[in-house]
Amino acid sequence: MVASRGEKRFWMLLTYAVLILFSVYCLFPFLWMLVTSLKPTEQIRSVNPTFWIDHPTFKHFANVLYHSKFGTYFANSVKVALSTTVIALAVSIFAGYALSRYGQFRGVKSVGAAMLLSQMIPGVLLMIPLYLIMKQLGLINTLGSLIIAYTTFMIPLCTFMMKSFFDSVPMEIEESAEMDGCGKLSTIFRIVLPVSVPSLIATSLFAFVNAWNEFMFGYVFINADDSRTLTPGIMLFKGLYLTDWGSISAASVLSVLPVIIMFAYMQRFLVEGMTAGAVKG
Amino acid sequence: MNAKVEKRDHTASIPDIAADNRPASRRTTTRVQRARRYALLFVLPAFLFLVLLNAFPLGQVVWDSFHYRNMVNAAQQGWAGLSNFVGVLHSEIIGKTLWNTVLWTVLSVAGEYIAGIVSAMALNQPVRGRAFFRGIIIVPWVVPIVVAGMMWTWMLTPEYGVINIWLVKLGIIDKPYYWLGEMNTALLAITFVNIWRSFPFYTISLLAGLQSVSREVVEAAAIDGAGVMTRFRKIVMPQLKTVSLTLIFMHIIWTAINFDFIWIMTEGGPFHASETLPITIYRYAMKEFDMGAASSLSTLMLGFMIVVFSLFYFSAMKKRQET
Amino acid sequence: MGGNKKLSLLLAGVLAVSVLAGCGSGGGKAAPNDGGSAGGTQSASQGSGSSQEQVILQYWNADDPSLQESKDAEKLIKEFESSHPNIKIEMQYISYEMLHDKLVTAINAGDAPDVSWGLPEWVGEFAAIDSLLDLTPYFDKWSDKDKIYPNVIDALKVNDKLVGMPNYLGIRALEYHEDMLKKAGISAPPKTWDELIAMGPKIKEAAGVDAFGITGTGVRVPQELIVYLAQNDLEIAEKMDDGKYKNTWNDDPEQLKRAAEVFQFYKDLADKGVIGSKTWGYQELDTNLALGQYAMSVNGAWQEQRAKENPDGMKDVKIAPIPYKLKPATYMEVVPYFIYKQTKHPEEAWEFLSFMMDKPYQDLIHPTNSARNDVVSDSQWGKDFMALSPTGVVFPPISLGGVTQAMIDSLARLYLKKDSPEDVAKWLSGAINDSLKKSGDLSSK
Repeated sequence: MVASRGEKRFWMLLTYAVLILFSVYCLFPFLWMLVTSLKPTEQIRSVNPTFWIDHPTFKHFANVLYHSKFGTYFANSVKVALSTTVIALAVSIFAGYALSRYGQFRGVKSVGAAMLLSQMIPGVLLMIPLYLIMKQLGLINTLGSLIIAYTTFMIPLCTFMMKSFFDSVPMEIEESAEMDGCGKLSTIFRIVLPVSVPSLIATSLFAFVNAWNEFMFGYVFINADDSRTLTPGIMLFKGLYLTDWGSISAASVLSVLPVIIMFAYMQRFLVEGMTAGAVKG
Repeated sequence: MNAKVEKRDHTASIPDIAADNRPASRRTTTRVQRARRYALLFVLPAFLFLVLLNAFPLGQVVWDSFHYRNMVNAAQQGWAGLSNFVGVLHSEIIGKTLWNTVLWTVLSVAGEYIAGIVSAMALNQPVRGRAFFRGIIIVPWVVPIVVAGMMWTWMLTPEYGVINIWLVKLGIIDKPYYWLGEMNTALLAITFVNIWRSFPFYTISLLAGLQSVSREVVEAAAIDGAGVMTRFRKIVMPQLKTVSLTLIFMHIIWTAINFDFIWIMTEGGPFHASETLPITIYRYAMKEFDMGAASSLSTLMLGFMIVVFSLFYFSAMKKRQET
Repeated sequence: MGGNKKLSLLLAGVLAVSVLAGCGSGGGKAAPNDGGSAGGTQSASQGSGSSQEQVILQYWNADDPSLQESKDAEKLIKEFESSHPNIKIEMQYISYEMLHDKLVTAINAGDAPDVSWGLPEWVGEFAAIDSLLDLTPYFDKWSDKDKIYPNVIDALKVNDKLVGMPNYLGIRALEYHEDMLKKAGISAPPKTWDELIAMGPKIKEAAGVDAFGITGTGVRVPQELIVYLAQNDLEIAEKMDDGKYKNTWNDDPEQLKRAAEVFQFYKDLADKGVIGSKTWGYQELDTNLALGQYAMSVNGAWQEQRAKENPDGMKDVKIAPIPYKLKPATYMEVVPYFIYKQTKHPEEAWEFLSFMMDKPYQDLIHPTNSARNDVVSDSQWGKDFMALSPTGVVFPPISLGGVTQAMIDSLARLYLKKDSPEDVAKWLSGAINDSLKKSGDLSSK
């Protein structure tokens, strides 16, 4: 390597400093949530808030797990988020591919513009019309309503993400595959997608997390407790005058941890998709 | 000539293609025709979703903005002409909220992008424990917004918020400051929280983009004597260009129409100091039941964004043609 | 089919009689249940042969499901179901945070629940959307109608129609830390605005905390402001001869002067160091009282629950009437139950609603804050608040969205924009009328 030892050391230290700084920024509120979920009620709101817990307790977790339908909410969120991710990804791969490779056609271009336009409507004004549509489809109170709505919300960005990643896949690979007699579909699935694994993961994570955390439509479309998803479920602990901070925190920790673990696992693939010759970490 | 052919075909776009699909295999088609068929087939599912769920609401917004539609005032209904627009533009706070919207959008997106690219570059280095750091960086993004908003509000409170008390203990400020309750800091404080929440997605996307930057090329450039900044500008950035533009574009739209954090943390207060257009729209629609006013403000926002984006698009096209 | 209807009417009759009997004998809780369930089993056994028409009522409840009171309520509702085999209650918990927008959306889509909780601020607007069932005929026939405080019932009337029933009351009072006042050598809480302002510096010096707390943003601002206005003999909107409403301050120099005095009082609170923050929301106000960060504020009986979180901070908190100027007044939050016009089963919905208004239910679920005059608790969180109900004022039954926002803005104009009290009073009067005009509530007089 050309960089001198000292220079290398400097960059290394800087990298660590940056990473630690970002970790503090990112973790601070989460840690506060975690600490709150373990504090006894009388320590939660105090004039002298600390990260130190005198007598840690699991009673908020017990309250969430045994005295609310957290399990149901959790299962519903998993179903909704996974379905949304799969459908949105399937749709966006093709739409993104079309936008990347066939952007010159007007039909494609106008769908792209429509997608952009669809993102510009404030959510509040979507509430009543979408409720009516869902009612007409007989989907109110079902997870189907959320899956369809979230998929529609996710498709535009997923498509644009996929487009921008496909843009960086050289045409030549595809052309040679087509020479070899591959059809369009098999070219996409066998040639283009395998080199786009990191972007597929980034995109599907996006769809998953947004569906997992969505709040407004989750509470507008669903009245029945059995179809309720996590975020509206967590907000039930917020009373009119008093907020049950311990339980809110415990429920949030329980809903956040699986996603973090999933990401920690997924990022292996994010790294695996690196181009040849890269140093694996 | 080419353009003409395209135009004619376009008029018979999507339904036609679907009907056309079956005989296609038998007919001998040119390469361009086949490509067009693929293209339209590929965007069809996305198109259907948009038509199903977005076309009607969008139409409704534009329609309502020219009608009196106040749910609590049944006496006044029907065509309103431009009076909804006149009404919202004459509101005392419209100038303030417009400025807030611009400030909120620009500061948020800029902050998110800077934080995103710095963290992505750092995470792309072969340092020890980067899997761990990557796991941490994603945390803000997976905490539900409602919960995060409430947590931050609590932590930022002067009397019993942990941030204020720590800042005082560390000697950074003299006495607790009401970040969300003072007119000059409310919007900035929420922007800070919004950056916290949104930048991890930039990090992940940019990191995915960085994977396609060949390390060999970077190292070769280093051997040729290119400094860190030059390597970054000349080799890394061009690779991230499309991803970056997509991220920034989408986030400009989303941030401009986003309202959750602001509503949860300050409801636009104190004295409209943190009120952006979506908050005003929400208030018109859900608190005053004036769908006409809410829709006309949305239509204005929509129109403004369309103009800005088309201007950008055409200038980019022009640039591309020139080069 | 006809037989079934008769059966359910009979059942309702049996229940009504047994409720009456229960109240009359003072035997309280057990009596209606016994009578009811006996009738229930009977009818169930009769109905099992034919196809009993099952009525499902959608009921949206804004309580926190993990509270004991919710669990008790669930149990009572189960009992109601077993005594009314033809009625099934599908209850959903939806916190207040989400309830408003959800109701608006559902009403618009023709999908409203049968019965729901609400907030007093929504009474006027929901009535204006014409979504609430007129309960007057049901109430008139109800055997317990004289058990409800009359001014509470008046608060739920729009154009002489009763559009809701009182779920519970949130009356406001002055809550004060007795120890802090004692430290400053003050033996009794302030009775008037002037006394309150005079105590400011004393308490600050002796106890080291601010004497008073107010909210400057959010839903609580209008609820506090309306009290001070009423104490100076003012209404935010007066009912005129044509049955519509108008703010009359700008028409009458005397009223405008009194309104300016109210804002002058707010200004003095800040200028003379009686309050600390001018922009708290209700969370900050309530939490800081419980943490002992200031001495007194206008607050509600829900602070009792804070005692669990901050037992030390809450132990010396006492209740007194709110300091006044011309006449004593307080805000009486009448939290309503609504039955929606879209319901297909108004009879059964009323049956269910009146069950929740009955003494046994109220005794168990709302011992301290019931709207029934025969349910009064001996704790200071019960009777001390109820004692103030004769002076209680409520919001007029108009669409309040724009009005309450104007009230919040008026304080911001005073404190943050530094407008003079006179200008703020003038502005608020105009802004309220603008909002009334928009919603069609403005009187032409």
